[in-house]
Amino acid sequence: MSQIRLENLVKRFGGFTALKTMDLTIGDGEFMALLGPSGCGKSTTMNMIAGMEAPTEGRILFGDRDMAGVPMGARGVGFVFQNYAIFTHMSVRRNLDYGLRMTGRPADEVKKRTEAMAELLGLTPLLDRPAAGLSVNILQRLAIGRSAVMEPAIFLLDEPLSNVDAIFRAVMRTELKSLQRQFRQTMVYVTHDQLEAMTMADRIAVMDHGVLQQVGTPLDVYNAPANTFVARFIGSPGMNLCPGLLVESDAGLAVDLGPRGVTPPLPAALAAAARKAPREVIYGFRPEEVQLANSGPALRLPLVLAERIGARTILHLGDPDNAIKAVFQGNPAIADGNVAIQPVPDRVRLFDQATGTAIGGM
Amino acid sequence: MTTQVSRDGARLGFRLTLPAQILVLFIALFPLLMQLYISLTDWSPLTGAQWTRAWEYWNNFLNYVDLVQDRKLWGSIGRTLLIIAVCVPIEFFLGLMLATLFVDDFPGKRVAYSILIAPMMVVPAVAGYMFFMLFQSGGPVNDLLSWFTAEPVAIAWLSQPNTALIAVMVADIWQWTPLMFLILLAGLVGVPEDQMKAASLLGANAVQRFFTIVIPRMKTIMIIALSIRVIECLKIFDTLYIMTGGGPGDATQTLSVYIYDITQNDLIWGYVAAIALAILIVLSVLCVWAMKRMAR
Repeated sequence: MSQIRLENLVKRFGGFTALKTMDLTIGDGEFMALLGPSGCGKSTTMNMIAGMEAPTEGRILFGDRDMAGVPMGARGVGFVFQNYAIFTHMSVRRNLDYGLRMTGRPADEVKKRTEAMAELLGLTPLLDRPAAGLSVNILQRLAIGRSAVMEPAIFLLDEPLSNVDAIFRAVMRTELKSLQRQFRQTMVYVTHDQLEAMTMADRIAVMDHGVLQQVGTPLDVYNAPANTFVARFIGSPGMNLCPGLLVESDAGLAVDLGPRGVTPPLPAALAAAARKAPREVIYGFRPEEVQLANSGPALRLPLVLAERIGARTILHLGDPDNAIKAVFQGNPAIADGNVAIQPVPDRVRLFDQATGTAIGGM
Repeated sequence: MTTQVSRDGARLGFRLTLPAQILVLFIALFPLLMQLYISLTDWSPLTGAQWTRAWEYWNNFLNYVDLVQDRKLWGSIGRTLLIIAVCVPIEFFLGLMLATLFVDDFPGKRVAYSILIAPMMVVPAVAGYMFFMLFQSGGPVNDLLSWFTAEPVAIAWLSQPNTALIAVMVADIWQWTPLMFLILLAGLVGVPEDQMKAASLLGANAVQRFFTIVIPRMKTIMIIALSIRVIECLKIFDTLYIMTGGGPGDATQTLSVYIYDITQNDLIWGYVAAIALAILIVLSVLCVWAMKRMAR
């Protein structure tokens, strides 16, 4: 019932295409994060699901029901706004029971459900306080509670943590995740913060320039990015991407990265896939999936900067404007001058230089 | 030390604002005292005496006794209140409806907007003459009515008591609905859009949204708009005077028209001063009370 299907969804504003042909199925009870930089079309997608905007083309289905023409109040969708949109001229109670009152539920039911929701969210002592002037975490809980009390099958959250400072965001993330476990509703969560998406979502839909780039579990998206955009966008720092040419060496297929040297040979499976691909490729590896090389084939690059943050050390290697980054646990001893690194062989990825799409599966 | 400095500062401030204080004294306090003084006498320009010697015509507060018993005065107050009671609500609701239309974009909005606020820009005297012409028995209003009812209509609007009052009200509504519209539009634009969306998503229909979000959010601005119009309407004069001159008989004689008439025709200036002062005091008390209520 509360499965959401987006079919060939397109949204144009005048001459500007905000969303190009999006197909996505969000399962019942799933926590789906729409992740992407600002202007990627994620909020537009969500507004269309909520019914605030009509799609230019394509269909939105809840279960088997086509939502075209269904007004937003009748969709059974809970929506948490970026700034929470709390009715500041009302009390906390009037905010919480607003939906129930407006849809004409009997007074005793309104009271019972409102108070149960307030209890669940720890808002009981605040019920008769004015909603203006409450702290951000209370406002967030109130915004969620106000929608949740209507028991919507679908919950949409539009960057609810973007107005909160970093320390508090960590608290709110755990709180949101536990709320979702309690409500067991389908949740669509729009964010530009990969950490939020990675920690909370069951699956992530990565978007850029109105195009859906990849859909998968957080680890899928991290381990097997479908293209260079996803590779660079997910992870902090993102994946190292070095353009190069495939070359045949004594030990097998490798990538010639020009001035950066020749990579160690590719693992057999990836090499097999690469032989069918064009020679111009992008060699990608995660900064945290790198070893310091004592011997054997390795990338030898000059050290530009070593950032030591206690638990981790981030090395910037090679060209300062386009440095390769390597992350090590703890504080390894690094000599100045050239550093020799080896990407963990199984974890290396290749992308087609022309299209940016990944070569070879997982 | 600091008290010395602040006392010096206060003294300097007093000296620097002295010219402004003198000015205020002359334009506000002096006429008021003069009015109070004259209102206690039977003085009028016909006595031939200087107003400073009005004390020679002292009449033991008779003017104030008279005004309580003046039926023409109470009649004119009643008509003024009637005009307020009819015009202000109509202007308010028309203005609110138009403002609601103008919140969203539609083709030709800018042109419609300019046309809509034009009446406010018309000089009241010109508007008065315009409506005087419109409401002639051979005028366009009757032509329009004839066209609608398909039989000849020849109402002498401005020479029958009831229709004259209606005509005067129509003119006021025509001229001042735009002001209501402008103020209320400013208020409507200030209603947060995401709160409206949030209300829709929670299942509130347009009427419910209006009463639970729009009205509470616009309360202050609505009170301001209504206050401005009530005060302005209390002083209604120019358009009305050109259309009817307060007539026929005293059918459209409002408070301002009555005061104007007895000033110009009867020349009983002591009595006029007493009426004006009494109105000023009553209105001031009402205003202070209303302001206190609004502040809460």
